[in-house]
Amino acid sequence: MDKEKVLELKQVIEKKLNRPMLYYLDLCTRCGLCYDTCHAYQGIPKKEYSPVGRAEVVRKVFRKYFRPTGKLFPWWGDAHEFDENLMEELREAAFSCTGCRRCTMFCPFGIDMPYILGIAKELLIAYGNAPEELVMLADGAVEKGKSVDMFKEGFKGVIKDLEKEVQKLINAPTSDGLIPMEKKGANILFVGLSGAHSIVYPAAIFNAAKEDWTLSYFEAVNFGFFAGDSEKANFIANRVINEAKELGVKEIVIVECGTAYRIPKFLMGPLPFKVSSIVEVIHRYIKEGRIKIKEGAITEPVTWHDPCQLGRNGGVYDQPREVLNMLAKDYREMNPTREYNWCCGGGGGLVALDNEEFRIKSGKPKKEQIERTGAKMVVTACENCHLQLSTISAGYGMGVTIESFTKLVGENLIV
Amino acid sequence: MLGYISYFILVPMVYIAFVTLIVGLMYKFYVIFRAPVPAGTGAIFPKKGSKVLGLIYDAMIVPNVYNKQKVFWFIIMIFHIAFFLLFLGHLELVDDFAFIQIIPHKIFLGGGVVGITLIITTLYFLFRRFGTPYREISIPEDFVILLVLFFCILFGSILHLAERYSDWGAVLRVNVDVYREWLQSMILLKPELSYKITELSHYTILVLHVLFANIFLMMFPFSKMVHSVFTFLAHYRKRK
Repeated sequence: MDKEKVLELKQVIEKKLNRPMLYYLDLCTRCGLCYDTCHAYQGIPKKEYSPVGRAEVVRKVFRKYFRPTGKLFPWWGDAHEFDENLMEELREAAFSCTGCRRCTMFCPFGIDMPYILGIAKELLIAYGNAPEELVMLADGAVEKGKSVDMFKEGFKGVIKDLEKEVQKLINAPTSDGLIPMEKKGANILFVGLSGAHSIVYPAAIFNAAKEDWTLSYFEAVNFGFFAGDSEKANFIANRVINEAKELGVKEIVIVECGTAYRIPKFLMGPLPFKVSSIVEVIHRYIKEGRIKIKEGAITEPVTWHDPCQLGRNGGVYDQPREVLNMLAKDYREMNPTREYNWCCGGGGGLVALDNEEFRIKSGKPKKEQIERTGAKMVVTACENCHLQLSTISAGYGMGVTIESFTKLVGENLIV
Repeated sequence: MLGYISYFILVPMVYIAFVTLIVGLMYKFYVIFRAPVPAGTGAIFPKKGSKVLGLIYDAMIVPNVYNKQKVFWFIIMIFHIAFFLLFLGHLELVDDFAFIQIIPHKIFLGGGVVGITLIITTLYFLFRRFGTPYREISIPEDFVILLVLFFCILFGSILHLAERYSDWGAVLRVNVDVYREWLQSMILLKPELSYKITELSHYTILVLHVLFANIFLMMFPFSKMVHSVFTFLAHYRKRK
């Protein structure tokens, strides 16, 4: 690798060396307790799929260029300079991790391993080796943010069609205004995804609850974050934040997308409005008596998959369980559960990549977990999880139905 | 020549080691606290207990290790407690401290058992690294630190056990005041290595013990040993 490129890559690392990154990079003792806590390692037991194995790839280059021991005695810390092989190792490390942070739960020092892999992702972008799919999707989202006015009319036309579907769901006399847009001072700004289902069911629920809400022009998913491009990730997140500020809403509600929820809720610093997941809002409406659902409507055994960004990294555990216990006659808990729950293997943008074989293998602990419950239906509240669980179910021939939480509530509304 | 080397190890190198340790750690903290703080939080849920007490609990009792590998948890707890007791024992080599005498004892609580415990646990950590999957993730630093620690404790324990229990120790038993004289002179920056130390029959063992201790202290800020300090920062972020 030529000197200029090495210098550029060194600068990329330097930019990422904030406070937590500095101590995360230094304090691992390689005790190995995280080794088998990753679903990918469980499915494919190789060092490169273990949390410590992944983080060590980043540490190798960090030590080489930023630690005196790495410069003077590279053997001491297994320091390694940039080369083709190392970049390949970084890619394998970064894009086999879903960012679920289950390993962080087991690390005696509380090291956030996916956070360290943020360096790997930025390095891959600078080197031009980041997954093209994610980069293109992030670019598309950035472009939409820059020229949203161009998209507005077309989007409004699509929404008109979706309003008719909402009308059917809630037996409304007219479809007009069922999906409001650009409504200043609304209580809620709802941020959906590009799929119609991500807007129709929440819209039905908001209307049933007589909520004062408005729909965002943007989709919640943040491909900049998945790709590891901090600049684009911030831009994409700020599209919605700025929209919410301009409209003066009190709360933004994020569709079933774990990362899209975690970013504004926990990673953007203080915001002048509340950030909630649609799951929390549904639970709130039921508790307040604003919507009613058909209790015991689901007769087959049901289990809940905690999306990592909603549960472990978001603290939303009890709300979906309470609702599912109402909806289902036979609710079954997975084991391990809640913060120890296994990741499905589809997060971190992995479902958008051409890696189905890897995802089926790395989904093995999830498959076993589901099978142990004996459930015939798995409910979740994250689009990535939904897609990945469907892949696992098909890949292993499990024959379980994967259902979206919001859709399930939307279909079982008493209107 | 050997006399000069021994003197260097017992006097200038001790200063170098402590300065390296203190300045090294201060520099590390300076770099960390000067670095930008990212927006948001790295919290993991649920956040049980208070922020401060919780992070102390997470860092010092390591419940996540207990939940995962109970035997390993037991060994690391014993190792760290023994390490702490030896630290207190070395304080007693400098002066009397009433708080250490809560349990009345001669200097070095445990009568040598603590050192032996530390040797066994260090060897456990060392040999654990030769097994799968730990061998694959270990780097030379991991082995070197454990070896340095092992030799440091080994020579320290030989000194202690010989003086306390052997016939050889009974003949040449050293009054703790001899060590205190030397160590206090070091602290007062008026180093004095009297013949009472240099003429000890086990002087070589003492020199080797101090040599490995010096190396350990000098490596501390530049190695994974910083986990003992930085773990609190990482756990804090997890609970923020």
